[in-house]
Amino acid sequence: MPAHLPAHDHGFMDQAATLYTIRIDGHLGAMALSAFPAMVSRRQGAQTVLTGLLDRSALYGVLAEIEALGLDLVEVRRLTPKRKSSEPGDSRSP
Amino acid sequence: MVIRVPLTVGVLACYRGNGVAGGRSPARVPRQALKVDRATPRLVDRGELLAALDRAAAAKVTVISAPAGSGKTSLLRAWADRPGQPHRLVVVQVQRDQQDAQQFWLALLDAVRRGSGTASRAEAPAATPDFNERAMVERVLAALEDHRGRVMLVIDDLHELTSPDALAQLTRLLTSLPPNVHAMLATRRDLPLHLHRLRLAGELAELRAAELRFTERETRALLDASGIALSDAGAALLQQRTEGWAAGLRLAVISLAGHPDPERFVAEFSGSDRTVAEYLIAEMLDRQPDDVQQLLLDTSLLDRVNGELADLLTGRPGSERILLELEDANAFVVSLDSERRWFRYHHLLGDFLRLELRRTRPEEVPTLHRRAAGWFAEHGQIVEAIRQTQAAGDWSEAARLLADHSFSLTLDGQAQTIQALVRAFPRGAAADDPELALVRAGGELVQGHLDEAAAHLAVAESHVEAASPDRRRRLRVAIASLKLGLARRRGHLAGVVEQARFLDSPVTGQSDKDIALGSDLRAVALYNLGTIEAWSLGLQDAERHLQEGAVLARQIGRPYLEVGCLAQLGFASKIRPIATTRQRCQEAITLAERHGWGTEPVIAPALVTLAATMIWTGAFDEGERWVQRTAQALESDSGPGITQLLHLATGMLQAGRGRHHQALEEFSAAERLQSQLAGSHALASQVTGWMLTTQARLGMPGQARASLATLPDERANLGELRNARAVICLAEGDPAGALDALAEVLDGTTPVIGYVTVVEAQLLAALADRALGDQGAANTATERALALAEPDRLVLPFAMTDSRELLEALPRHQTAHAALLTDVLDVVHGASLTANDQPPSPQTEELSPSELRVLRYLPTNLSRPEIARELSVTVNTVNTHVRNIYAKLQARDRSSAVRRARELRLLSTGLTR
Repeated sequence: MPAHLPAHDHGFMDQAATLYTIRIDGHLGAMALSAFPAMVSRRQGAQTVLTGLLDRSALYGVLAEIEALGLDLVEVRRLTPKRKSSEPGDSRSP
Repeated sequence: MVIRVPLTVGVLACYRGNGVAGGRSPARVPRQALKVDRATPRLVDRGELLAALDRAAAAKVTVISAPAGSGKTSLLRAWADRPGQPHRLVVVQVQRDQQDAQQFWLALLDAVRRGSGTASRAEAPAATPDFNERAMVERVLAALEDHRGRVMLVIDDLHELTSPDALAQLTRLLTSLPPNVHAMLATRRDLPLHLHRLRLAGELAELRAAELRFTERETRALLDASGIALSDAGAALLQQRTEGWAAGLRLAVISLAGHPDPERFVAEFSGSDRTVAEYLIAEMLDRQPDDVQQLLLDTSLLDRVNGELADLLTGRPGSERILLELEDANAFVVSLDSERRWFRYHHLLGDFLRLELRRTRPEEVPTLHRRAAGWFAEHGQIVEAIRQTQAAGDWSEAARLLADHSFSLTLDGQAQTIQALVRAFPRGAAADDPELALVRAGGELVQGHLDEAAAHLAVAESHVEAASPDRRRRLRVAIASLKLGLARRRGHLAGVVEQARFLDSPVTGQSDKDIALGSDLRAVALYNLGTIEAWSLGLQDAERHLQEGAVLARQIGRPYLEVGCLAQLGFASKIRPIATTRQRCQEAITLAERHGWGTEPVIAPALVTLAATMIWTGAFDEGERWVQRTAQALESDSGPGITQLLHLATGMLQAGRGRHHQALEEFSAAERLQSQLAGSHALASQVTGWMLTTQARLGMPGQARASLATLPDERANLGELRNARAVICLAEGDPAGALDALAEVLDGTTPVIGYVTVVEAQLLAALADRALGDQGAANTATERALALAEPDRLVLPFAMTDSRELLEALPRHQTAHAALLTDVLDVVHGASLTANDQPPSPQTEELSPSELRVLRYLPTNLSRPEIARELSVTVNTVNTHVRNIYAKLQARDRSSAVRRARELRLLSTGLTR
């Protein structure tokens, strides 16, 4: 995590951002959650689900953070608009 | 097997950055400030893992691929430290987010050389602005081959290497390692190294996260070694909760040591759903006194920290003591140097600390970055200063810093680092900073993107007037220098020199720092200016500027520029005697070799010029070796101008050896490159002239004449092309036409590149005379050619011009240049001479003028009485002189005296008739 190098301007997106949910084993505390300011989190059992609108480079930024913090990645899902309507419960944070 | 793991099983073990892992300095007694128990060297048995690594190490390449905190580094260290380790170890740790391939390779090369124990005699690796990654891999391989015995090349944190080129070249290195060398790589994630061939051959071994996990038994051993009393159930619980993850266990041990109720700690930890690292790091932080917590958080923004810098950031003294204690306590803090002055945090801890700082005190973050930037700038660590300034969000300040130092950083071989810094500016206003345009122009130029460089340069130029007066002058010099560099790469020489005239007056700065930056800039400008002048035949200005540039470069400690100036000076020495040119080239090459740049593009002008001097004097074999070395130096394309010179020299070599077909190929290649140069350069007429000459000699005079007819008059009338016209006429059976073409070359009314063109013209005139049946005139012209060629002992024009019959027809006793004539005939008959550059040995006693007169007749076939008659002295006098000559030259006979006299250049000048 090159945290001392600022991220590129988040306002500019090369491609349309898409809604992603990312599932991590264990509960993230305030310290770890602050690494994902663009995501909304919710706990689901012993896991944490992060949801957010990400373009591709933002997604890989999030994955790099997960790696750097030694977190246990369980699942990454892209919620396409169609799927969003068929599984509404999955796409919204509480 | 029991091994000593001085850092418990921690993941924080860090090589000290200087190669082979060394032992730790003696542990110090911690003070009360720290609630972490001091870690005595603890014993833990991970023999099975080490044995697994041992088995893996039998393969050519071993990859340890596992997530952060899996204990890769400490495993490597334990394996390396093991008694009886049969491998010699070469260890490199990749720096965080290493985007600069050159910095990576230099560190690797340095480690390999240190590891072989030959660092002192080998050339020291040094950074260069024109970095050739391929050649660098060759150098690393060559250095590895110097090693005897089994060598293990260990590269840790390889995932930090983010330069894609570097990974491709690393693949090449790994697949061509010498037989005695093996490699071991540690990385957090699988990398795009293409090692299929090794995998198929069973030469690739892997160790992954599952194998690195601590078993229950190992967890137990770790706790015991750390003096922690925990029930077997507790230990099992801990192992399950952390899943044997080394960093987790390591963090747990820190909190457990001195904990009043270890069982409760484990129970609570186990009952929590928090992620392992965050839970344990939060626990560990909570247990630290306030000042330690604050220090960890305040300094977390840095990649590395020392006591002074930490004092500055925390605003209180005593930081160094805390850092030392943290390291002694194995609390994820590691010193980076043997003096233990610089420290870094384990990546995982550092990352969490940064998050915590931003979360709890976000408003202080920019201030901390600014303070750190100030400290780094003050201590000359410019790259770090720029990074911190960027992180503070002070974009225009960062742009100014980067612009001010971009020349110096380029000279330091950090071109790729500059690119990474430029990329870190956000899009929008900050990216359009005119200061950055200058940096971008320089970056594009280094990468050979000439149009892009010109575009950025235009942006920078349009902003000069808006700059403050104190910056304006420096911006102008920077722009002029880049323009010269651009013109040089384009071969577009006309006009640029005039624009740069103002560089003749030195930069005056207010402070020492300004003067230092100004000197870097000025030395680069002189280098570019002198180079352009050399290539556009402004040779005397070129010599002056390059000499000045070299002196300045030496004063300010810029060896790259000094080498560059001296190399171009060698090329610019064409108006000097060959001996001077040769000496200058050799000095430049010696200096380049001392810095490890013996085959870098920067030295190519001196290499190719030296080759040419060898070829001119008939030392073809040596010339060929220097030609080959030039080709090596130019492996990465270095512009049409210098490449053209290489083709020209190769063509000369082929032509001198009578291989006219190959010569024509080279001259034609040089001619084709001419079209890529915007203006014609120094040797353009030579290239075209020899191409046409060679065509005519190969029986294609019609084609040559047709090409000649397309040239504009002012070019066709240059001496080199008049010579070509003469050769065409001779090939067409028109000797009178040849003499006509040569007349103005011989009487000196037409411009020539150098006197060598006149030597060639004399020989062509002699051929024409002979064809016309005038042997007397032919002899006279041949003798004139010899007389002109004598001072530099030029052989090539004779070899290229089919002059064998001319020379053999020349009565020996009629020439005053018998020694040179003999040399030339040797070459024409297929020999290669040796270039003798050794200065006269001091032991040689000087010959008297009368002895010198006699000496000059020794190479002829005149007998002693004949010499006596020629000199109007008695035979006895000649005999006395000859005896003295033999004694002074330590010669046994006439031929060895002649050889020695040639070596000492006693037969070269001031001949009497």
